[in-house]
Amino acid sequence: MITLQNLTKSYEDTTVLSIDQLEIPKGQCFGLVGNNGAGKTTLFSLLLDLIKTSTGEIVSNGIEVAKSEDWKSFTSAFIDDSFLIGYLTPEEYFYFVGELRGINKEAVDSFLEIYKDFFNDEILDQKKYLRDFSKGNQKKVGLIATFLGSPNVIILDEPFANLDPTTQIRLKQLIKKETESREITLLISSHDLNHVTDVCNRIVLLERGSVIMDKETTSKTLQELEAYFSA
Amino acid sequence: MSTSLFKLSRKKFMRAPQLEAKLAIKIIMALVVLYFGSAILIGGIVIYPAISETALDKDAISVINSVLVLIFIFEIIIRYFLQQLPVTEIKSFLLLSIPKKRIIKNVLLRSLVSIYNALPILFYLPISINMYLDDYPLKQAIVWWVSVTAFSLCLNFISFLANKNNKALAGFVVIVVLLYTCERYFETELLRAAGRFFDAVLTQPLWVAVPLSTLVLFYLITFRFLKNNLNLEGALGSKKEIARAGRYDFLDVFGSNALFLKNDLRLILRNVRPRNIVLMSFLFLFYGLIFYTTPQPQFGLVFASIFISGGFLLTYGNYVPAWDSEYYSFLMCQNISYKKYLDSKFRLMAFAVITSTVLSLPYLYFGLDVYLMILAGAFFNIGLGTWITLYGGMLNKQPLQLNVKAKAFENTQAFSGKQFLLILPKMVLPVLFFIIPATLLGSEEELNATAGLIGLGGSGILGLIFKNQILNLMVKLFAKDKHEMLKAFTQK
Repeated sequence: MITLQNLTKSYEDTTVLSIDQLEIPKGQCFGLVGNNGAGKTTLFSLLLDLIKTSTGEIVSNGIEVAKSEDWKSFTSAFIDDSFLIGYLTPEEYFYFVGELRGINKEAVDSFLEIYKDFFNDEILDQKKYLRDFSKGNQKKVGLIATFLGSPNVIILDEPFANLDPTTQIRLKQLIKKETESREITLLISSHDLNHVTDVCNRIVLLERGSVIMDKETTSKTLQELEAYFSA
Repeated sequence: MSTSLFKLSRKKFMRAPQLEAKLAIKIIMALVVLYFGSAILIGGIVIYPAISETALDKDAISVINSVLVLIFIFEIIIRYFLQQLPVTEIKSFLLLSIPKKRIIKNVLLRSLVSIYNALPILFYLPISINMYLDDYPLKQAIVWWVSVTAFSLCLNFISFLANKNNKALAGFVVIVVLLYTCERYFETELLRAAGRFFDAVLTQPLWVAVPLSTLVLFYLITFRFLKNNLNLEGALGSKKEIARAGRYDFLDVFGSNALFLKNDLRLILRNVRPRNIVLMSFLFLFYGLIFYTTPQPQFGLVFASIFISGGFLLTYGNYVPAWDSEYYSFLMCQNISYKKYLDSKFRLMAFAVITSTVLSLPYLYFGLDVYLMILAGAFFNIGLGTWITLYGGMLNKQPLQLNVKAKAFENTQAFSGKQFLLILPKMVLPVLFFIIPATLLGSEEELNATAGLIGLGGSGILGLIFKNQILNLMVKLFAKDKHEMLKAFTQK
């Protein structure tokens, strides 16, 4: 689904990301871990063409993301709160995103019905603009909006951060359900090793911009990661 | 504390991204301030002698006194819209061990050191000096200056209290309108009574106690207000509004573009800054009242027509992609092509021009010629003005915070020299499109207005005919600039 070739990103003389080759097959739940400054967000930003590559290329579903904008039709993402429109109510935001992905109001309403539990009665019908919601609730809106319109590629940067424990667990269940029900290529970065090893079937560990571990998730993965991070 | 605050703001400036651009802006703004400052200063110097010469039967200072109220009203309007009060910067100091009282005192005193409080020195002081030179005793000149200054500084605190409060503004406007109608139709002379007060100050200096105690009173009220509200829920926090569920379904007639029009409408209605700017753009509709009631050369009328229909372009339009800067990376990932995005912005601006043109129908009163000129100007604005504006907006690499008042002189976000240059073609091109055909086809004495109108309107129609080509060109420029824009917009 997504192929990276000779990818580097540098600012002046410091290279912040350098990946020779990486392939993410269709339907994989791909987990990215690493300490601050390892290059996780940089990688995701490159995948979304939010920043320019220094060298190399990224091909998503046969489309080179830096050259064409056709990848937008099957990709959705939530990186940070700049992915929300502060002056909209959550409903309006969902309708807006829905309409961009060709889904009408009624379909959005029935879509939201499914996630009622996840919202925990704190999101819909609140008569509040998104900018007035707490960080955690804002995040709920942004995360659910990425599933609107069944995109094939979903990119979530730190989806578990800022969420309350209940919602973290619900998010895990939700991700598992979504990935089982249809073929989604899901990319997640996280500092929460427990969660990320729980939901992802492949873990890639970045250190200073390079891949230093790339494994299918097994029962031992969590221990290995913990060993690495405590070293 | 003041010095450390000053150091902080200096660091904030020196370490800001795009320092060069900001420096250039500061320099331009310094020139603007210098210009207005010297204009006001010169006004202050010449007004007294000028009135003495023209109105021989009256005392110059009492003529000035009678219009002081109007100056105050004007001042408070300017302050309401533009003055940014240094409240929010205080947030980080609340937890330090500095007594709250001292923080508030600092805020209030610092608010006095503002460009908006230069008026007493630049304008009133020269008048008072002139009074002294004109045989008024020194004491009277000083007392007059002190009273006027005290009132002017009261306005500083009033704008503190009314900060961001639309009800206060509405109340103020209602009072002014009521006073005006009383004055005009019932001869109550309330406004003139205020002028008499300043006359009285001259004859009985003890009256100076009134403005001084008013000033102290307002200082104390503001102090108490801040003391009670200096917490995250009060003056420091952003107000939580109750969301109005505007569906704007009437816009659905615009088909697939309705989505963006609706969103832009919400952006304008729900955020302080665009709302103020759009309100300002309405004022452009009244430009005609100045232009059409005084004799003008032909090109002056062209200007007027461009202003009347293009107020929105000249104000809101200049920052067009920047209004979306808060969620720009989101938009760049959504399933929306650059072409559609730019097209939607084009339609928004065209929609605004059409609205202004319809609203300007009353100008038919000044004759069909005048309105035809407005129409021709509107065609230019839709066909070409929109694209020039959009191009100018794309050059702007400064993010905009939506729900924050614009800081007029202290910090102009989103303003660059290049952009400033792009206002020129919006003014000069229409004049050329009008004047060239009008001169070529006109006789030596008279311009051929019809040819001019066709030239001006035709240029806009040509722009519409080649809309797709222009749009494609814009898309290329836009795509080339995308990353640079993203980078700039994500830096705060």
